Amino acid sequence: MTAVSFQPSVASQQEVVLRADGLSKRFGGLLAVQNVTFTQYSGEILAVIGPNGAGKTTLLNLLSGVYRPTAGRLHLLGRDVTGESMEARCHAGLGRAFQIVRPFPEMTVHENVTVGALFGKAGVSLPEARERAYDLLERTGLAAHAEKAAHELTLLQDKRLEVARALATQPRVLLLDEVMAGLRPAEAQEAVQLVRSVQGSGVSVLFIEHIMPVVRDLADRVVVMDQGQVLAEGTYREVTANPQVVAAYLGTEEGLHA
Amino acid sequence: MSRAMETSRTVTRRPDFTARALVPLGLFFGLALVFPFLPLGTRAEYLLQIAFFTLVAAILALSWDILARSGQVSLAHAAFYGLGAYGFALLGKVMPWFAAMPLAALIAGLVSLILGAVTLRLSGMYFAIATLAFTEVVRTIIQNLPESVAGGANGLLVPALLGGNARAQYFLAFGVLLFTALVSLAIRRSRLHHAFAAIRQGEETARVLGVSVVRYKLAAFFISSFLAALGGVLFAGKTFFINPLETFSLANSIAPLTTSIFGGLYTTLGPMLGATVLRVAEELLHNSVKNGYLVVYGLVLMLTILWLPRGLMGLLRRGKHGGEL
Amino acid sequence: MELFFQTLLNGLLQSGLYALVASGLALAVGVVGIVNFAHGEFLMIGAFLAWGASAYLGVDPLLSLPLVAVAVFAVGALTYRVSIRHVLLAPELNQMLLTFGLGILLQNLALMLLGGNTRTVTTPYQGSSLSLGDLSVGGPKMIAFGLAVVILAGLYAVLYRTNLGRQMRAVAQNRRGSQLIGIDVDRVYLIAFGVSCGLAAVAGVLVATLLFASPTVGLVFALKAFAIIVMAGLGNLTGVLWASVVLGVSEALVQTYVPGGGGWSDAVFFLLIFATLVFRSFRGAR
Ligand SMILES: Nc1ncnc2c1ncn2[C@@H]1O[C@H](COP(=O)(O)OP(=O)(O)O)[C@@H](O)[C@H]1O
Ligand SMILES: [Mg+2]
Repeated sequence: MTAVSFQPSVASQQEVVLRADGLSKRFGGLLAVQNVTFTQYSGEILAVIGPNGAGKTTLLNLLSGVYRPTAGRLHLLGRDVTGESMEARCHAGLGRAFQIVRPFPEMTVHENVTVGALFGKAGVSLPEARERAYDLLERTGLAAHAEKAAHELTLLQDKRLEVARALATQPRVLLLDEVMAGLRPAEAQEAVQLVRSVQGSGVSVLFIEHIMPVVRDLADRVVVMDQGQVLAEGTYREVTANPQVVAAYLGTEEGLHA
Repeated sequence: MSRAMETSRTVTRRPDFTARALVPLGLFFGLALVFPFLPLGTRAEYLLQIAFFTLVAAILALSWDILARSGQVSLAHAAFYGLGAYGFALLGKVMPWFAAMPLAALIAGLVSLILGAVTLRLSGMYFAIATLAFTEVVRTIIQNLPESVAGGANGLLVPALLGGNARAQYFLAFGVLLFTALVSLAIRRSRLHHAFAAIRQGEETARVLGVSVVRYKLAAFFISSFLAALGGVLFAGKTFFINPLETFSLANSIAPLTTSIFGGLYTTLGPMLGATVLRVAEELLHNSVKNGYLVVYGLVLMLTILWLPRGLMGLLRRGKHGGEL
Repeated sequence: MELFFQTLLNGLLQSGLYALVASGLALAVGVVGIVNFAHGEFLMIGAFLAWGASAYLGVDPLLSLPLVAVAVFAVGALTYRVSIRHVLLAPELNQMLLTFGLGILLQNLALMLLGGNTRTVTTPYQGSSLSLGDLSVGGPKMIAFGLAVVILAGLYAVLYRTNLGRQMRAVAQNRRGSQLIGIDVDRVYLIAFGVSCGLAAVAGVLVATLLFASPTVGLVFALKAFAIIVMAGLGNLTGVLWASVVLGVSEALVQTYVPGGGGWSDAVFFLLIFATLVFRSFRGAR
């Protein structure tokens, strides 16, 4: 596995796809996300790591528009989308797979993916969407389950469905929330291949992950969060060498080298 | 993301649905079309009247179902049915029926957009109670307007539809139900179907996948209320007389809901079958029991929920998923 | 001024009855998680039982009240066992429709067996009235209010002072957690639903003495109870008391001061439910 690492100087010449400026989210007395700032460049794979409860999922909810930020701004492909709805962000090129899978339970697997293909991007006709959904099922290894009801899938298959459905929206930026949790090493390796192929087709990927070998293999850059804040940012090597990061992970169940 | 990746076989592309699914619908309409020409004997007039109200019940149930497909379980169907009836009663005096009918339905459709817009963020019981309260507000307003406007609590006389010709009225109802069914089928074949189902099964997820929820929810409201109002026009034009208490009654909101569930939710044929079975059962009971024959509605609703959650359609298509019309 | 105070008093007295109905509903919603659309029908059963006891056995409603409460508690518990229990995990739509069906069934059963007429109960204290300075109150109204207060005090004492009450509140807050600490959730549900129905029936007995018994008498009270628990916030039991007073008093004010008040007061009331729901939904926006 050759880890392609962007040097900041190289990266800065690239197009910025996602820029968060001081994003914060407060739940009552809890500041779940605090003044988070980062930039993602086109074609880059960015990992967000951090202990449980660090605020990673909440950050993703701010990015995809599930929550409105208490403070801060978000730019997607050069456009300020801070006040925009979830669907507007999706149309603008943001795709998302949820950590807790959310299939449409009464639809078939194929219909689930069709919804993403049909509404994720303007101007896709129903036959086109159905066709694209079949293609994606093949690509994500769900071909044999196309006509099953979504509620009949195993958790692993559900996770693949999450990814397939998000990909169906033809995103420029794909947000993945712990889609590899619970996979066996061989399966995780295949997932890594899938993310690589997604990147190869010109999509920037932002993923949350606990499995450190996956982060090492995939991430061009890593953002470490702790207690709602960005603790460190840099290459995998840099952040794992950072004493603050090591301290934050000490005593947590996951450890840094799970 | 497992073994299957390497072996990623191609999928057999299935069509969205086949023409065969249309056969039962065709049968239903075929039977309904020839019904008035059957040798019905001395009770022909009475039977034709029951058949007319069965068609109206089917229109109401199917139009309610269209709204329910988008996850909006409404108790305001009586309001739009009633607006259709009242709209026709008032407009029918100043214009021909074929103009008054769509206009009354259009008014009901537009009013439903207001209700739809303010209840966008409500779901489940909150939505149900808000729509019920809305119906009561509409009823009390109509009831308390000066009698010269809408007849007040005493009600209104309605211009007879098609000169009171029972057979012509039947065919008009037939036409409206056919129209409703065609709208329902068109929705089933379009992106609306996928939007409605996605919103119903996970509104937030639908939005993250790009479904413009507001637009589709309002579209469902408009289509459903427009069609319900056509049903209201038929009812008013048949009975000559309407009053607020009966027209806007809770029973008129609950009947279409019960009918759809009994027949089979989120299908075109289901609500029509449900209406037929329940209307006939109701008529038989009405004749034998008189008071309280609606017991059967309550019982049917409870038993359906407990034992037959997919309704009559579930019996017809055991174990199949998707592809239903 | 005197009219104003008389109006306030009437509203306040009325709110005791409302609180009784609404507390029962709040128990079903808060503890069992079921919105019981048949709540008004349990009230109706209570009203008819009181009427029956009075008309056929000559028993005063106030004496039959405890028996009616126990009987309808049993009916409620049975209802839970044979139906509600089977939809606890089903979609909310199914739960709503099940209780809807139950409501229609009970209402029409009453219509079938007893006809649609209203039945009044005659009591010795019917025409009595109590004067407080310049204000006067009907005897039955005063008795109903007093009883409502006593029963509600009892309910809240049970909820906050007894083991069963603590279990109910625990289940209301966290079902899974309660199961983990060894609470028999199913039993708590059964009792809560039974008590909920029993409370409705007690209110029904009072309604029979104040108004009448009829198959549809429960509907309007159930709707008001819905309005109250919506105003209070779902499952908020103490909020129910305040919301009942607000509804009772504002209703009385509309009836006294709005011209043609009788007809419009319903509209005001439903507009209030509607506006509360809509307002809450938009304020809760993220
Ligand atoms: N909707 C919410 N309301 C209140 N608190 C929340 C909500 N969502 C998340 N939190 C809290 O915010 C913190 C961060 O949660 P989350 O973003 O899920 O962490 P992570 O994904 O990093 O494990 C946690 O303490 C969590 O309990
Ligand atoms: Mg998380």
